[in-house]
Amino acid sequence: MNKKIFLASVIGIVALIAFPMLIPNPYYIHLAETILIYSILLFGLDIVVGYTGQVSLGHAGLFGIGAYITGVLVFKLGVPWPLAMLGSIGGAALFGAILALPALRVTGPYLAMVTLAFGTIIQILINEMTFITEGPLGIKIAKPVIFGTKLTEVGYFYLVAALMVVSLIVVHRILKSNLGRAFEALRDSPIASDCMGVSVYRYKVYAFVISAGLAGLAGSLFAYSEEYISPQTFNFELTILFLLAVIMGGRKTRSGALIGALIVVMLPSLLADIDLFRKIASFFAVVAIASAVYLLARGKSTPRKVLVPVVATVAMAFFSYRLENMTDWRLTIFGLMTLFVVYYLQDGIVGFFRSLLGRGAVHDASLAVAAGNADAFAGATAGKGVAGAPLLKVDQVLMQFGGLKALNRVDLNVGEKTVHGLIGPNGSGKSTMMNVLTGIYQPTDGKVAFDGVAITGRTPSQIALGGVARTFQNVQLFGEMTATENVLVGLHHTFHSNVADVMLQTPRYRREEKAARQRAASILEFVGLADLANEEARNLPYGKQRLLEIGRALGLNPRLLLLDEPAAGLTAPDIKELMAIIRKIRDHGITIILIEHHMDVVMAICDTVTVLDFGQKIAEGTPAKVQSDPKVIEAYLGGSADSLGDSTPAAAH
Amino acid sequence: MLSIQNLHAAYGKVQVLHGISLEVPKGKLVTLIGSNGAGKTTTMRAISGMIKPTSGSVSLGGRDITGLESHKIARSGLAHSPEGRRVFPTMSVTDNLLLGAFPRFTGARPKGEIKLDLEKALELFPRLKERQHQLAGTLSGGEQQMLAMARAVMLNPEVILLDEPSMGLAPILVEEVFRIITRLKSEGVTMLLVEQFAAAALNVADYGYVLENGSISVHGPADSLKTDPKVVAAYLGGSH
Repeated sequence: MNKKIFLASVIGIVALIAFPMLIPNPYYIHLAETILIYSILLFGLDIVVGYTGQVSLGHAGLFGIGAYITGVLVFKLGVPWPLAMLGSIGGAALFGAILALPALRVTGPYLAMVTLAFGTIIQILINEMTFITEGPLGIKIAKPVIFGTKLTEVGYFYLVAALMVVSLIVVHRILKSNLGRAFEALRDSPIASDCMGVSVYRYKVYAFVISAGLAGLAGSLFAYSEEYISPQTFNFELTILFLLAVIMGGRKTRSGALIGALIVVMLPSLLADIDLFRKIASFFAVVAIASAVYLLARGKSTPRKVLVPVVATVAMAFFSYRLENMTDWRLTIFGLMTLFVVYYLQDGIVGFFRSLLGRGAVHDASLAVAAGNADAFAGATAGKGVAGAPLLKVDQVLMQFGGLKALNRVDLNVGEKTVHGLIGPNGSGKSTMMNVLTGIYQPTDGKVAFDGVAITGRTPSQIALGGVARTFQNVQLFGEMTATENVLVGLHHTFHSNVADVMLQTPRYRREEKAARQRAASILEFVGLADLANEEARNLPYGKQRLLEIGRALGLNPRLLLLDEPAAGLTAPDIKELMAIIRKIRDHGITIILIEHHMDVVMAICDTVTVLDFGQKIAEGTPAKVQSDPKVIEAYLGGSADSLGDSTPAAAH
Repeated sequence: MLSIQNLHAAYGKVQVLHGISLEVPKGKLVTLIGSNGAGKTTTMRAISGMIKPTSGSVSLGGRDITGLESHKIARSGLAHSPEGRRVFPTMSVTDNLLLGAFPRFTGARPKGEIKLDLEKALELFPRLKERQHQLAGTLSGGEQQMLAMARAVMLNPEVILLDEPSMGLAPILVEEVFRIITRLKSEGVTMLLVEQFAAAALNVADYGYVLENGSISVHGPADSLKTDPKVVAAYLGGSH
């Protein structure tokens, strides 16, 4: 473990232990308890919002479910606390799975609407189902009893603190594992996740279930903490507060969740005291003016840019002295804070301080391992077949979109260990063919068999795990993840550890993670990206991104690799490098289908070439034969056919 | 017409352009070549205001346009046909073209000169004429590229920046793209061209600049660059 993190953890734990001793006032202990409880929920919400990139406005509902399961179990059945908590976790997780169903169909504002409806329905159900929940009257329960004695406020604080620490460790471990990488991958490119064998369906459900389980735990702790729960607690305002906390604290960090929880719990208390609020507002106004003056003097900003924050904070300070009472203005203040955060602190408070300290998002370089003697092609299933034996057989495939036949009864036979070129004019159906082969499209009619087994009807992730990997014409990398992490997603299939292995960091999981990282390092070395291993994929130049996609695909140990225009936008020297890599991949016994417009590449490395035009096969054969086919020249090559082999197809002027 | 002096640009803390100076004279076609990551697209983006240069100046027809917002630069007569096409997929071909002329509109409907330009653009790109009522998103890659170029022409600009117009196109379409560039040139349109096919670009261009790691390493008339042994070895040589 990193020394700094270790030190921070020790300080954090000591602070938690010392807090009730230093500040014995029960009001403040209760407040701290609430912060810890909210933190647990926010760790979970961040999995959904920060990592999988889904918006959930349903977490107040899940929190309510957790609270009410504990409330009802204790109030009606007198169930002991550990069972009540487990019941809350399990019950909320179940509802989380239900909430995941719409998330599989819709995203963005639609998902926000659906989850909002979920939260509202839960609140109404709690209110109306009086035979279980006692309705608006609410439920009273007492603090948990351990070894025959009822816990005091301080004792309960320690229980909550311990569970918060456990949740933090568990969540952190999950998010740093192959599971966490799967969550991030499906946020950045669902289609590429599926094609890397990471089922979007499955991992979205996992993310919601884990997130909801944490919300359930938080709800259960909340019920014991307040000793009284009623339906109106779990309202829309609470959901907004949770979301504000995650965004304000900083997504994709645990420290962000803690800071967010601190702010949203303290905020109502701060706003309740008008004198305190006046002081804080004045303080911010002074800070805003001072920093504006500083930035202007240093020429780092323009008057127009600093105008809004200065006017806003000064106006806020001014109004705080005109107001008698803050409570009516609470929602307005929340709204203004949300606006401020979204506009000025897009990466939250944690992100802001990181950029201030000159550090980007943390990509732990200490995790980097040398390739050692790991082979980029270790465990490759390729190479076992006989060269030239049929590997892929496409039989009379018809792909129809409305009236348009994108593929019109096309046959395609690809032999083991060959490089098969697929060329044709733009819009002739090449990419459609790729999507049919990888299961993204289900063909209207016809069959696709891979290694003798029909694969039509299988999902993209099943096909990927069966040994078919691909790259994308419009690069589909996981942008916020590093080069290494991108390849690790391709290596996801090498993990057999389950969630429990990850939580407990069992030897099995550690061994798999180490092996995968070594493989990733050797793959990056193979595609020539070793020195960019810890760079975020979105920051790589275009040509390197294409190489990284190939590396990621190799992680799957494919028998068949589909390359969709790997040379597009590359200049002559880069193309040379790319061709060397493609040749090396072929020499390892991996069969390749290559879509490419650079005819020199196609001519130099393909064994067979198929030409498509308007969804139909118009020619097939050796590169030389296809090149001289008059139909191909007319539809595709044009007058430049005589200048092929030169990297300047239009040099015929 | 377009004059760039000592242009610097950066993405965050990473400096990409280290002082580039280049001239695009009126009616001339100038090409910028270089390997991947050399900064060609960044240069284009810094000129058209999509990113703010950190220092240096860009002037168009004698007016300083450095650091202006990109829509203002477009209004001042510079059209940018960006890498990767970027057409408006849910609008028809005609609407895409009319949007290209948006800054020139005086009323709600296209009339007079704009109407004539629309007809001219459709005649210049016959493939678009066949598909003028189709949604741009349903066009093939090649047709979308034509549309991006035609949309730039519709601004009736003083200078057009063409970024990778042949990327991802079939050889026959690459030829057509170059034919159109030649035709625009013969009509006196001033252009700055970035192309993966460096040799083809030098064939149609008047003048060329070679960009290496964010600075200009060589420049000269296109004909002399074509025979410069260093340029031939690094950028034009066959890719085998």
